[in-house]
Amino acid sequence: MADRPPRPERTGVLLALPTWLTLGVFFLLPLAILFVISFGQRATYGGLKPIVDLGLYLRSGKFLANYARSLHPIYLQIFWRSIWMAVVTTLVCLVVSFPVAYYIAVAAPARRRNLLLGLVVVPFWTSFLIRTYAWMFILRTEGLVNRFLVGSGLTHGPLELLYNNFAVLIGLIYGELPFMILPLYASLEKLDLSLLEASADLGAARSSTFWRITVPMTMPGIVAGVILVFVPSLGQFIVSDLLGGAKTILAGNLIQNQFAVARNKPFGAAVAFELTAAVLLLLFAYALYTKRKGQDVLL
Amino acid sequence: MSRLARAAAGGILAAAVLAGAACGPRGDETPYPGPGEKKLNLYIWSEYLPKEVIDEFTRRTGIAVHYDLYDSNEPVLEKLQSGVADYDLVVPSDYMVRILIELKLLRPLDRARLKNLKNLDPRFLDKQFDPGNAYSLPYVWGTTGYGYDKTKAGRTEDSWAPLFDPRNRGQILMLDDMRECFAAALKFLGHSLNSTDPAILKQAAVLLKKQKDLVKTYNSGDYENILAAGDVWFAHGYNGQLARVAAADPRRFGYVLPKEGATLWMDSVCIPARARNVESIYAFLDYVLEPEVNARIVNGISYASPNVPARKFIRPEILNDPAIYPSEEALAKCELLEDIGDATTILDEYWTEIKAQ
Amino acid sequence: MRGRGRFLSVYAWLVYVFLYAPIAILVLFSFNRARQTAVWEGWTLEWYRSLAGNDLILASVKNSLIVGLASTAIATVIGTLVALALGRHALRGEGFTRSLLYLPVIIPEIVLGAALVTFYGVLSFHLSLWTVVIAHVVFCVSYVAIVVRARLSGFDRSLEEAALDLGARPLQTFWRVTLPLITPGIVAGALLSFTISIDDYVITSFVAGVGATTLPLQIYSMLKVGVTPEVNAVSSLLLALTVVLIVIAQRLQQAPVERGEMS
Repeated sequence: MADRPPRPERTGVLLALPTWLTLGVFFLLPLAILFVISFGQRATYGGLKPIVDLGLYLRSGKFLANYARSLHPIYLQIFWRSIWMAVVTTLVCLVVSFPVAYYIAVAAPARRRNLLLGLVVVPFWTSFLIRTYAWMFILRTEGLVNRFLVGSGLTHGPLELLYNNFAVLIGLIYGELPFMILPLYASLEKLDLSLLEASADLGAARSSTFWRITVPMTMPGIVAGVILVFVPSLGQFIVSDLLGGAKTILAGNLIQNQFAVARNKPFGAAVAFELTAAVLLLLFAYALYTKRKGQDVLL
Repeated sequence: MSRLARAAAGGILAAAVLAGAACGPRGDETPYPGPGEKKLNLYIWSEYLPKEVIDEFTRRTGIAVHYDLYDSNEPVLEKLQSGVADYDLVVPSDYMVRILIELKLLRPLDRARLKNLKNLDPRFLDKQFDPGNAYSLPYVWGTTGYGYDKTKAGRTEDSWAPLFDPRNRGQILMLDDMRECFAAALKFLGHSLNSTDPAILKQAAVLLKKQKDLVKTYNSGDYENILAAGDVWFAHGYNGQLARVAAADPRRFGYVLPKEGATLWMDSVCIPARARNVESIYAFLDYVLEPEVNARIVNGISYASPNVPARKFIRPEILNDPAIYPSEEALAKCELLEDIGDATTILDEYWTEIKAQ
Repeated sequence: MRGRGRFLSVYAWLVYVFLYAPIAILVLFSFNRARQTAVWEGWTLEWYRSLAGNDLILASVKNSLIVGLASTAIATVIGTLVALALGRHALRGEGFTRSLLYLPVIIPEIVLGAALVTFYGVLSFHLSLWTVVIAHVVFCVSYVAIVVRARLSGFDRSLEEAALDLGARPLQTFWRVTLPLITPGIVAGALLSFTISIDDYVITSFVAGVGATTLPLQIYSMLKVGVTPEVNAVSSLLLALTVVLIVIAQRLQQAPVERGEMS
């Protein structure tokens, strides 16, 4: 960070100010209200139970009841499953997206780049619900894939492709792909081809050029993509409900259920804040790690 | 980090003050304001009100109707609670009406202004969620049963039993709805669907846990499509959507209202406490209570209405469809889902367990 | 290199097929005679015809476009600025700003939606289309900022420094050097931002006011009576329109670029 050109600090503050104001007022403040609520208790008709004696409430430790409840093994199991699903989604997205982003940014003719980029996001400007129905049509017992498999004699009977973890992953990966491809593209697009050529000229194997030059140079894009895919997939729930048959609960379902069906906002808020804290800790750990290695903090 | 902590602490403090202000008295018992403007802001489910019905109202009265849609009851609660949603009429479900009344978010009805009130069937009035209908008027009602595929399931008894029968493993769809699933289990076991006795709730939870193995998917969105596509033999769901599938192919699909009883649900029209366009509101309420207008609504949306004289104008295929207008005795065994207060938390823990196992 | 290039393009096109497979089904079903969205019963243009008379859907499309474009425009500008602050300037409260940008991505939508509507109540902000725009800006800023920040990081600063050394004013340097360098990041961020805004339903359902029903709200509210293929029809039309716009933009952009390549 020492190599940063000495510029008046004021510029930085001015540039950050609109975001500070917007997020400070319309995000942090509402969230702070909810944070206070997460220490409360559900009233009979939802809403908050009024606290008669604040001192007693604090001393009795009741304010931590929601956080204590969330440590029950059943909830821990739900968190664990959500993390696992999000990790798989992120890894598959990364592996699938990298060559595509590379193709758009480097290999495809320059004049087609924006077109190809646009075509990545356009499918997602249609309704999520209708898109998911289309997936169900493709995957169901009497769906497209099964009709092809059975018709062509590849399998004897239809495969169970819907209402299981496979379908959930397909749905998650499909929905998150653009959030991986676009950041990767933005990083790959500035890849210095002359470096790659030099490396090849010097006789480096393709794989070592890839790992030693391409990957490190696109690290910022990889990190951004991983965050934009991993974090939202942690909170996903509609995909898993429709394609997975809603037979498991993920962290997203749990929070949704508490806010909607169970109308237990305090508990739902507590779970949401725990999830947030866990992700933030992860990000801080990563930032600390890169700083210690003397690299630019990419986050 | 310390800067972050300081900023966060400041933010929380400020928020706590604001939250305190928000929870203070808000003067919901505002006296009736003037007649309001000649417009009406509705907040309602999609396709609950055919366009022609609205157009005619505007033609007759010159009142412009604005129309916003919701997809679940929770945003209605949150929006009315925030006090900044300018709606004149909302159409929440039964249990939500109770909550809205408890939270003082509704305005009492001025019954003297509704000359068509007498058209409503007393069977749908004076329910637990709003004794004496002080705040709400039933708009449409229906039941929660299940649809089935006659070609695959064969003959079925009019009971919840097939949904819990191991022979139907992998061919069952249940609503992804905690209260409705418990209602099916409780009724099958012969209990009230509003039971709060922990022992009974546990019994139902055990049954649902066992049933999970048989369930292909939980879905409360397009379950009628899943049934129609041949993915399942039995689909638990609301009568309207399932009746539509059955009507499209009556030889293949049917709707069952189980003999043990089931959920009766009602969506009611209510006036938010802060509604302003009072004249327009009452003009509209009386308008939709007119028999012919009401029949046009029923004919358009295929859900039953509690309006008695409207039946004369309802298309016979709707009026005679037992999935839409069930028989007297079948209906007598149905119950409204009531807010079960603190037992909700017990159910929620069981539900999480069932789903997470 | 050539063999690998061919492999790459085949692979990329396979991924495009994956992306468009459900879209093809979606478009196909807009011509389906059946009212249900799961069974194919033959061709019809009925849904396009009834769509033309469905004021509710058309109004909701208009609302969605207004919200999508407005929130993307605002989020892209302020998101890019904060990314510059993080990537190019010594910033007091850098750690705080970074966390601030990640939070909206982490917080589940229903939490933000419920919190925001309560907060609007505290502020006495009457719910409208603009309360939706504000909510969307809140979660879109992060996407733009994160992508642009990634683009900026590790960038060779020598170009900017050279411009400054040659006497260019900072603002001039920004417009002539920095902005063109980060444009791919801004475009990518804006596209993502529009993508989440146009299809958001959870948060919108909490903060939309009178006359602010967006297309996703319209579609989800139809669940109770069954979503009709009119929704497929409107999605298909929007899709066709977008593709046409992209191709036109491509043509417009292409001409000068190719001339540039010639010289």
